[in-house]
Amino acid sequence: MKIYSYAIIDSNSKISDSINGLEGVGVYNIYYRDIGIAVSELSEQIQDITQEHILKHEEVVEKLMESFTVLPVSFLTLFKKKEDVLLMMREYYSDFRENLDRLRNKIEFGIRIIWSGETIRSRIIDTCKKSSANISITDTSPEKSFIKERFEKYKLDKEFRKEASKVITLIDDFFSRFAAEKKLEILKSDNLLLSASYLVEKERQGDFKEAFERAKRTPGDLKFLLSGPWPPYNFIVLTKNADIFTPLEIPKTTGIQISNGV
Amino acid sequence: MEGVITKSKDVTLLEVLDRVLDKGVVISGDIVISLADVDLIYVGLKVLISSIETMERLRGAPFAGVQEEPT
Repeated sequence: MKIYSYAIIDSNSKISDSINGLEGVGVYNIYYRDIGIAVSELSEQIQDITQEHILKHEEVVEKLMESFTVLPVSFLTLFKKKEDVLLMMREYYSDFRENLDRLRNKIEFGIRIIWSGETIRSRIIDTCKKSSANISITDTSPEKSFIKERFEKYKLDKEFRKEASKVITLIDDFFSRFAAEKKLEILKSDNLLLSASYLVEKERQGDFKEAFERAKRTPGDLKFLLSGPWPPYNFIVLTKNADIFTPLEIPKTTGIQISNGV
Repeated sequence: MEGVITKSKDVTLLEVLDRVLDKGVVISGDIVISLADVDLIYVGLKVLISSIETMERLRGAPFAGVQEEPT
């Protein structure tokens, strides 16, 4: 028997809703002090992992999110026994507590912005050609040509990034007004201009969605994609180094209680 | 909240993968049972491929049609 974990929750009570996890087994709370971890029991190792497992994991976390502040645990985090779960909770307690307080009543939205990198690069090349039309280069030796080529590529990349940064600043300034925190990934590929996560107060999610709709209607070649609301996957900050601890014996007199309520 | 999962499951699968596999609370060490990394990579790839196939099907459609509606 293994213990499969879904999320850390800000509760040391039984989970009153009936939630089924992987293998259709009920999800329950193992609590430590004033927080808990939502888990279910697995009779045996998952042999063939499918997308259904992934979606089920996410579904459980989202159901928990309806009633609790959650820190989603990454997919396929299993423990051998409850004592190990409790040890982990004890080790991470202050981190979990801090994150739960910071993320209370907040949700995550994902925004991806796509542009045509090729079009932008062509536009930059055209502009550069116009501005250098009057400059004639007489030396056409292979060395000079090579250096010129490299320099032009460098210049093009630099201008491309400058253009991206200009657009992203505008967009991010706009969305940041509705968000408490953000994570931005810029130019993951030539066409994926921005991949951003915004942490938004639950009560401001309507404003955020409305802002997205307004941004989407802005004339131009940008494509906007919105996903969410999500549990705050991208905003969990753990200071503890997970690799440093190894299982220890938990004294029998710790006063730790285990809730088996389903 | 279930909207993310149920409304446009295929398209959001990429978003789910992006979060569920290596974000959130990541605990490692002796205390955690780890499935073979190769399995996880495999499932990631397998799911990714099916998502790409979906995206391919939707290619040409306006992005607004692909976008998931948040709840």
